[in-house]
Amino acid sequence: MIGMIMFAVALFMLMLGFPVAFTFGGLALFFGVFAEGMDLFAFMPYRIMSVMQNTVLMAVPLFIFMGVVLQRTRLAEQLLTSMGRLFGGLPGGLAISTILVGALLAASTGVVGASVVAMGLISLPVMLAHNYDKRLAAGTICAAGTLGQIVPPSIILIILGDVLGLPVGDLFKAAVGPGMVLIGLYIVYILIMTRFKPETAPPMPEDSSISRKKEIMNALLAIIPPLALIVIVLGSIFTGIATPTESSALGGVGAIVLAIIYRQFSFQMVWDASKDTVKVTAMVFAILVGATAFSMVFSYTGGDYLLEEWMLALPGEKWGFIILAMLVIMVLGFFIDFVEISFIIVPILAPVAEALGINMLWFAILIAMNLQTSFLTPPFGFSLFYLRGVAPPEVRTIDIYKGVLPFIVLQVFVLALIVIFPEWFGMSSSY
Amino acid sequence: MQWIIKVDEGLARLSNFCGWVACVAMLLMAGNVFYDVVARYAFNEVSIGMQEMEWHLYSVVFLFGIPYALRTDGHVRVDVLYTLWSNKTKAWVNLTGALLFVVPFAYLIGLYGYDFALDSYSLGEGSGDPGGLPYRWIIKAVIPVSAFFIAIAGLNMATFALRVMSGEKQYEGENSAGGLA
Amino acid sequence: PTHALAQDTFTLTLAETWGPNFPIFGDTTKNMAAMAEKMSDGRLKIRIDSANKHKAPLGVFDMVRAGQYDMGHSASYYWKGKVPNTLFFTSMPFGMTALEQYAWFYYGDGMELMQEVYEPYGLKSFPGGNTGVQMGGWFRKEIKSVEDLQGLKMRIPGFAGEVFAEVGVSPTNIAPGELYTALERNTIDAVEWVGPALDLRLGFQQIADYYYTGWHEPATELQFLVNEKVWDKLPADLQEILRISMRTAAYDMLIQSQHENAKAWASIKNEYPNVQIKNFPDDVFQAMYKANNKLLKEAATGDELAAKIIKSQEDYLKDSRAYTDISERAYLNTMGTVE
Ligand code: NA
Ligand code: NA
Repeated sequence: MIGMIMFAVALFMLMLGFPVAFTFGGLALFFGVFAEGMDLFAFMPYRIMSVMQNTVLMAVPLFIFMGVVLQRTRLAEQLLTSMGRLFGGLPGGLAISTILVGALLAASTGVVGASVVAMGLISLPVMLAHNYDKRLAAGTICAAGTLGQIVPPSIILIILGDVLGLPVGDLFKAAVGPGMVLIGLYIVYILIMTRFKPETAPPMPEDSSISRKKEIMNALLAIIPPLALIVIVLGSIFTGIATPTESSALGGVGAIVLAIIYRQFSFQMVWDASKDTVKVTAMVFAILVGATAFSMVFSYTGGDYLLEEWMLALPGEKWGFIILAMLVIMVLGFFIDFVEISFIIVPILAPVAEALGINMLWFAILIAMNLQTSFLTPPFGFSLFYLRGVAPPEVRTIDIYKGVLPFIVLQVFVLALIVIFPEWFGMSSSY
Repeated sequence: MQWIIKVDEGLARLSNFCGWVACVAMLLMAGNVFYDVVARYAFNEVSIGMQEMEWHLYSVVFLFGIPYALRTDGHVRVDVLYTLWSNKTKAWVNLTGALLFVVPFAYLIGLYGYDFALDSYSLGEGSGDPGGLPYRWIIKAVIPVSAFFIAIAGLNMATFALRVMSGEKQYEGENSAGGLA
Repeated sequence: PTHALAQDTFTLTLAETWGPNFPIFGDTTKNMAAMAEKMSDGRLKIRIDSANKHKAPLGVFDMVRAGQYDMGHSASYYWKGKVPNTLFFTSMPFGMTALEQYAWFYYGDGMELMQEVYEPYGLKSFPGGNTGVQMGGWFRKEIKSVEDLQGLKMRIPGFAGEVFAEVGVSPTNIAPGELYTALERNTIDAVEWVGPALDLRLGFQQIADYYYTGWHEPATELQFLVNEKVWDKLPADLQEILRISMRTAAYDMLIQSQHENAKAWASIKNEYPNVQIKNFPDDVFQAMYKANNKLLKEAATGDELAAKIIKSQEDYLKDSRAYTDISERAYLNTMGTVE
């Protein structure tokens, strides 16, 4: 029960505005020492060590570095504004470009911290400079940055594969369809929304001195170098030159090469980029360290057993089970890390699902979609914190909370589609 | 009051030093990973030692970055109420939080982190993989060292809050990432 | 920590290296705990914490030593970087089969030597279940000679990695989460994992055609660790119950491995006709055998205890194998001629 009280207190304490990471850490300390004694914290060095040795997370600083260099050399701005120009007089061009770039990044990493922060650095300043509505901008970035968890390669899918005993390759293949549908729906949503409220996403100003055809040509030319960089990053993964994590280092070095080509390079620029990267990386990892202390106290005070008990009370009939299981995962996702859900909840649901004749691949994709949403849901959605960490002061937490709401609705909608029409996604609900 | 300013600036120097270390590690890490990819792809050469160096450097980046980001107010806050408050109220939040949350948290991690590293030192622990790095205690010692600097940065947060309370300093413009994006 | 609930009731905590519900490996700890509780009529309870809870899969040795956990379930060769002589109690390349190795543990000098290694660290170590022969790994290209191994990038950790390195392979570290992608896209050329039952889950059969037979871990024995102070505090009957539970669970893992691997192999054969079983060519085996002997010689130099363990294993293997040759091997050969 202590774990549950701790969540309630955290909710209140976070509102006071003390840094999120240390609010988690400090509360973990009070509740942990109170319930189990100081020695509980002898586990902390091991937990920090497990973050240190999790080399997949190296993608965070490396991608941020690429993002910062692209931003400092204004190449990111060039990429997005040129893509936005291609949409001509259509509003929402920048937001759609953000989704597209986010989708490309998603295909090269499965680490949300890396892609949300990189997207925040690359596209938030551009959208704000072009008078985008703060909420739309923030929501778009969080949603685009979080795509990395459903578009393969993805950490959620790898963990689920392990927990459910499904081949990773099958999961990756099955997730492509839902990922694509999600990307498509984001774009459709922005197109429709901006049609009714064009002032939230003004179109790029048209240059009347040149013809539309010429403008498109210019835009295409300007897109090529930064886009080529992203393609190289992706290409290095697909050709096997680099692992997804390593590809982010190629991105960083590539960004510097671009800076040299565009005569934007200076050692000072690289040093400043490194400083920005360190600050933002530290922000992301402080949250991870604080959260691991928090989840340590949660589970060692019996929170994991309590969750287990609750799970065992789910109904034993196929559709009721599916719907309630999805609801429970979603609600838990508001509070608990996706890794904990995968390891504590999923193993309890799996045998029940199997006994009900549910197709496990389909079940896994449902869970993955659901867990992906948990990165976006207030109050503890990590994407929201990460974006807030790199946003200028005028974009407030509340703007981000409100901005992601429509995207959460879209995700739930796609989740429902997969539940009702699995065959649209090349799956079946039972075997 | 004068001595508070002196202490505050002295402590800030330590956090900035951490930042410097983390920045150097950041650039080395990017170079290290890049080198490993090129060596493997172009020259078919793999060194587990170099691969392990990657996560050593990456650990230094975030563990030394955390105290640095504390001083530069880079850690994310839920600012629903925070931005509405006066400097004085903010200073109270930060002073209390620093002394109740940051310093004790860092203390416990430092305390147990020290045993953790010492244990590794006394066993003479090294990598168990072919060609891996020896002296595992060095990277493990980064945990308590980082905790020490986080505690320092926590105290620094408190001294800065005192300066704000006295009206000599302000929080404006410093909170969040400082307009990074 | 040990919580004495009633006067004579003990609840021990056990940290395992594996995630929750990890098949076969994880079943072993659950089996052991269930047996101990039942046989002691509830006086000995064991709470199992998996890696998702303690987050330190390779910290089990340290945590049991420090008393943060009373017991551990892992593999001895994981501690090679901390205590080099722990290496010998899991499985050695070109070493004993599971049957031979169990005989060495229980009727030869195995248990005593293992205790000699662990004692200085306040730990008791027990056999913790066997995987049987581990497969030699998934390769995307066929290995036809030692030349084919030169510069071959393979995920192969530990001592076997050192042997492979001696014959020209480049052992490579890849995060487990990226292994599949790395093999699929030729970032690496080969992956060594466990055996059909566990390999199947990672899906390597979808992306690699050559599945090589094993030589490097002929009988991978897992390990139960018990903090010595905790052990000493248990009354003699509970010590015995715990000992028997661990031994029975370990034996059960060996036969469960046989069962699950056979089942998984049948399904790979049916569903993935692309997969071909291969033996390394003779010259490759010979080169590796030589390299292995050289490394063992190096390990034995300057370390008396290591020399003693290696000699014990070599001597035991010699006699034991001579009998295996005229019993199991002779029988399997016979079967080969009539089938
Ligand atoms: Na991804
Ligand atoms: Na293995």
